Amino acid sequence: MLGKSIFRDDAHGKVTGSALYPGDIEKDHFLHAKLLFTGQPHARMIRMDTAAAEAVPGVVCILKAEDVPVNEHGLVMLDQPVMVGLNSKKPFSDVSRWEGDRAAMIVAETEEAAARARDLIEIEWEQLPVVTSPVEAMRDETIIHGEEPSNVYKHYRIRKGEMAAGWAAADVIVEETYQVPMQEHAYLQPEAGVSYIDEEGRVTVEVAGQWTHEDQTLIAHALDIPKEQVRVIYPAIGGAFGGREDMSVQIVLALASQRLREMGINRPVRIQWTREESVIGHHKRHAVTIHTRWGAAKTGELTAIEVEMILDAGSYNCTSNKVLGNAHLTVAGPYRIPNAHIDSYAVYTNNCPGGAFRGFGAPQGCFVAESQMNKLAIALGIDPVELRLKNVLREGEASITDTPLPAGISIKTVIEQCADKFEEPFSGAQVLPRSFQSLPADPKALRRGRGFACALKNIGFSFGFPERSEAYVELRGRGEIDRVVVRHAGADVGQGAHTAFKQMVAEAVGVPYEKVEGVFSDTAYTGDSGSASASRLTWMTGNAIRGAVEKALTLWKQEERPAVGFFRYQPPPTEMLDDKTGKSNPNITYGYVAEAVDVTVDIETGHITIDRVVCANDVGRAVNPNLIEGQIEGAVVQAFGYAVTENLQSKNGHILNPRFSTYLIPGIRDVPQKVESLIIEEPDPQGPWGVRGMAEMPFIPLAPAITAALYDATGVWFNELPLTPGNVRMRLKNTLVPDLT
Amino acid sequence: MIPGEFDYHSPQTLAEAISLLVEHGDEAKILAGGQSLIPAMRFRLALPGTLIDINRIDGLSYLREENGHLLIGAMTRESALEESDIVQSKYHLLADAAAVIADPLVRNLATVGGNIAHSDPANDHPAVMLAYGATVMAAGPNGTRRIAIDDFFTDLFENSLEENEILTEIRIPTPAAGTGGAYLKLERKVGDYAISAAAVQLTMSGGTCTAARIGLTNVSPVPMRAKNAEQALVGQTLTDDVIEAAGQAAAAECDPSQDLRGSVAYKRDLTRVMVKRTIRKAMERAN
Repeated sequence: MLGKSIFRDDAHGKVTGSALYPGDIEKDHFLHAKLLFTGQPHARMIRMDTAAAEAVPGVVCILKAEDVPVNEHGLVMLDQPVMVGLNSKKPFSDVSRWEGDRAAMIVAETEEAAARARDLIEIEWEQLPVVTSPVEAMRDETIIHGEEPSNVYKHYRIRKGEMAAGWAAADVIVEETYQVPMQEHAYLQPEAGVSYIDEEGRVTVEVAGQWTHEDQTLIAHALDIPKEQVRVIYPAIGGAFGGREDMSVQIVLALASQRLREMGINRPVRIQWTREESVIGHHKRHAVTIHTRWGAAKTGELTAIEVEMILDAGSYNCTSNKVLGNAHLTVAGPYRIPNAHIDSYAVYTNNCPGGAFRGFGAPQGCFVAESQMNKLAIALGIDPVELRLKNVLREGEASITDTPLPAGISIKTVIEQCADKFEEPFSGAQVLPRSFQSLPADPKALRRGRGFACALKNIGFSFGFPERSEAYVELRGRGEIDRVVVRHAGADVGQGAHTAFKQMVAEAVGVPYEKVEGVFSDTAYTGDSGSASASRLTWMTGNAIRGAVEKALTLWKQEERPAVGFFRYQPPPTEMLDDKTGKSNPNITYGYVAEAVDVTVDIETGHITIDRVVCANDVGRAVNPNLIEGQIEGAVVQAFGYAVTENLQSKNGHILNPRFSTYLIPGIRDVPQKVESLIIEEPDPQGPWGVRGMAEMPFIPLAPAITAALYDATGVWFNELPLTPGNVRMRLKNTLVPDLT
Repeated sequence: MIPGEFDYHSPQTLAEAISLLVEHGDEAKILAGGQSLIPAMRFRLALPGTLIDINRIDGLSYLREENGHLLIGAMTRESALEESDIVQSKYHLLADAAAVIADPLVRNLATVGGNIAHSDPANDHPAVMLAYGATVMAAGPNGTRRIAIDDFFTDLFENSLEENEILTEIRIPTPAAGTGGAYLKLERKVGDYAISAAAVQLTMSGGTCTAARIGLTNVSPVPMRAKNAEQALVGQTLTDDVIEAAGQAAAAECDPSQDLRGSVAYKRDLTRVMVKRTIRKAMERAN
C-alpha cells in the first residue's frame, strides 16, 4: 500500500463542491456572529458604549472582555487577550496592541444585523505610542506588554569554539545584512466556524484548524470549564500552512454558545470572516533582519560564523519564540561550523504578530546561510555545489548545537542528486552550462542565470516539547479481518493526510486500502494527535498507527472481536538550548532538500521569470508519490510568491494590502514554468517504514536559489525580498548594471 | 463587504435607460460589465442610489467596419475582441491590449464601453483609444453626439459625458497603409493593472515617421497622451537615439504616483523602457 498514488478520498467532494468547509455547514435556526476588531495598533480603552448596538433589531447578545471567564490565550505563552476591553480580570487587557485585536462579538438573527450593530459600537481610546520598528522596540522606551520588563522577551545564544581562532583561519570573510519580509498564508478558505451544544451537553465548535486537541484546551481554559465539556470537530479545511495554528474564531464561538445556553437559547451560531478580516486578523510569516559574517579557508572549509538576528514578533508571541529557535539554528545551514557566535532576539512591536508558517523560521535562516555560501563560493572561486559538499554535516559530527544531528543525515545525497539532475538538459534543444558559470552577455535585455541552494528542517516540535501522537485501530470481522477502522485526530488541511493515514493502516494490517475506514479530527472520538505542522503529521501518525495495529493484531490473535488497539507514540525527548552556549539536542529528526533554478530577468524592467526548478527532497519513504509531488509543487509556488510577487505592506501597524487585488499571490501564468520533483528515499531510522517529514522543505531553499541565479545573470546580489520588478530594477540601476537599449 | 442600498432598474431600450438617467441624475450609475463598479460598491467607494443595468438592451454589442472605421458597440465584451478576426488581423494595438486586460474571467464580462466610461487611468483602453485617435458616441435625451477621445477624459474617473448621457459606441479609424500599432504592458502578476503600459500608433513613410500617437496607462491621474514623445518621433528617421529621446520625453511628461507597484523614479524609468519597446514593435508592424 505504500508507494502507491492512491486517489485521494477527499478529491471528488472538493472538485464537485460537495465537500463542506466550515462556512458551508447548514444548520436550522442559525444565529450569526461578527467580530469587532479594535483597529488600534496601540491604544488603551477608556470607554465602550454598546447601547446603540444592542438596540439594533435582531441583536441577541454582545460579548466583551468582561464576559470571558479567563481572558487569555496563546499557543506557547498566554499573552493574548481573547478580547480587549474594560473590567476584565486579566491585567492589561484594556490595551489593544494590534489592529486585529478583538473588542466585541456580536450575535444576531442575521449577518447584516450583526454587522450593523458592530458598526454602532462606540469606543473611546487613549492613543499610546505605536512601535513598528523592532530596533526601536529594543530600546524599551514604550513597553508593549505592561507585565513584561522589556519588549525583547526571548534571546537565544550559540557560543561554540574560539571565535578569534576561527577568524584567524579564514582566508575569505563575507559580511552582509539581510532583510526578509512578512508573508500572508493566503489560504483559499477564510476563517469560519459554527458552534452549538451537542447532544451530550458539550460546547462544540466545528472549525478549520490544525490541532483539534489544542483548540479544545485553549477553549476550555478561556471558558474555565473542563476539557471534556468542549468538543472540537474539523470539517473540510481549505489550506492552513501554519496560519490556523492560533485561535481565530474558536474561543469566541464557544463563548457565544456558552452564553446562549445561559440565556436559555438553544440555537447554533456561525461566523465567517471576509478576506480582509482574515488578512488583518491572523499572524504572518515573520519579518527578520539579520547581520552576519562568515569566514572560510581558501580550501573552502568554513572557519567561523557570527550572526545577530532580530525577529519582529509583532504584538503577541503566538509561536514566535519557537520560530526564533528554528531560525537561530537554521541560520547555520546544514554545515560543519567549528566556531560560532549567534544572538537571536524576539521582539514585541505593534505590528501584526508573526507566527507559524510553512518552514517555521527555516526560510529566514536558510536564506541567510545559503546566500552566504553562494557568496563564499564566488569569493573562493569554488563551484557552489562543491563548496557545500565540502562543508555538509556527516554522521556523528557536531552540529551548530555542538551535538550530532540524529542519525540518517542525507544532505549530501540530496545535494548530489539535485546537481546531477540539473545538469541534464532542460529540453532536447538546449544544454545549459554548469552552475554559476555566467552565461554569455545577451544583446537584448533578457539575462539568464542559474542558482543553487539547500536546506534542512526539523520534523516535529523541538526544544523539549512533549511530542506525542495517539491512534486507535479497530479490527472487525470474524475469521478474517473484514474492516479496519482507524481513529485519529490529525488534520487534513488539504495535503491529503487522511488518505496517507489509511494507506499506512492498510500496510500495517496487511489489508487492501478499501477495507480501511477513518474517523478523523473529532475530539469526541480521537486521541491527541498533535498538530498538522512541523512536517510531523505523517511521521508521527505512522508511528502511532504501527503501535496501535500491533496491539490490535495481538488482541485479534487472542480472539478479541472487534480487536481495538490504542497506542500513544512518544519520540525520544528533546532539549531546550542551553542559555549560555546553546548546547543541546533540540530536535527529534530532520528532513533535507536541495533546489536549483534557472531564472530569466529583464534587466530593463526588473521582471523575473523562473524557467525551471529542480527540487530534490528526501522523503525517506514515499507513502503516496502524487501527494508528495503536490506538496513540492505547491511549496515551490508559495515560495515563489514569497520571493517575488507577494509584498505585504504595513504602515504604523496597519496592513495596507489586505486583499487579493493588492496582495498578489502568483497565478498560473506567473509560477515557475517547470518544476521537476526528485523524490529521494533515504530512510529515516526513526520514521515509520523510513518515512521522513517533507511538506515544508521544498519552500525553504527557493528564495536563495533565485537570488543566486539573479547574481549569475546580472552580477548583483539581492539581500532583501521580495524581488518585485520595481525592487529589482532600481537595485540593478543603482548598482550600475549597464542599460541596454 | 456589503454594498450600500440602491434601487435597481433593468431597461429594455436605450430610450428607457436615458429617461431613467434624466430622472435620477447624478444619483444613478450605469451598470455594464460591472468589473469596476461592483468592486467599488463592495468597498463603498461608490454608493449609487440607483443602478441602471444596460445588459438587457439589445444592439449595443457589435464589432464591424463602416466608412473607414471600426465600430465597437459599448457593450462588446473584451473577450469578443480576442475572438474577432477583424481586430486580430487589422487592429494590432487593440488586439495586443485585449489579451492583457485583467484575466479571462473578467474579460468574459467586462465591456469596452465600461472600460472607457469608467475613465480610470489604470484601465487599458483609455491609452489605446488615445493612441488610435478614436471617437466616442454618446446618446442623450437630445440625440447622439460625437466626442473626440482627446476631449473625453477630464479628471480621475471623470469624463465629458453629461449626467444624462450613455456611451454607446467607440469608433477607431481603420489604419492607413504604412501604419502600425502596439500595446505593451508590465504587470507585477498576470492580470494585475499595469505598472506602466504604452499604446503606440505610428505611420511610416520611406523610413520617416509621419504621424505618431502615444497613450500611457497608469502613470498619470488622468489618461494621457505622451505628446512630447510623439513630437520627438514625427518627421524623424527612427534611429536608436530618436527612440531613446521619445522614451525620455515620455518619462518626463508622465506623472505617476508611488504605490505598491513602485516608486515614482521606477515608474518613470519603466515608462521610458515601455515606450521605446512599443515604438519598435509598432515600427515593425508599420513596415
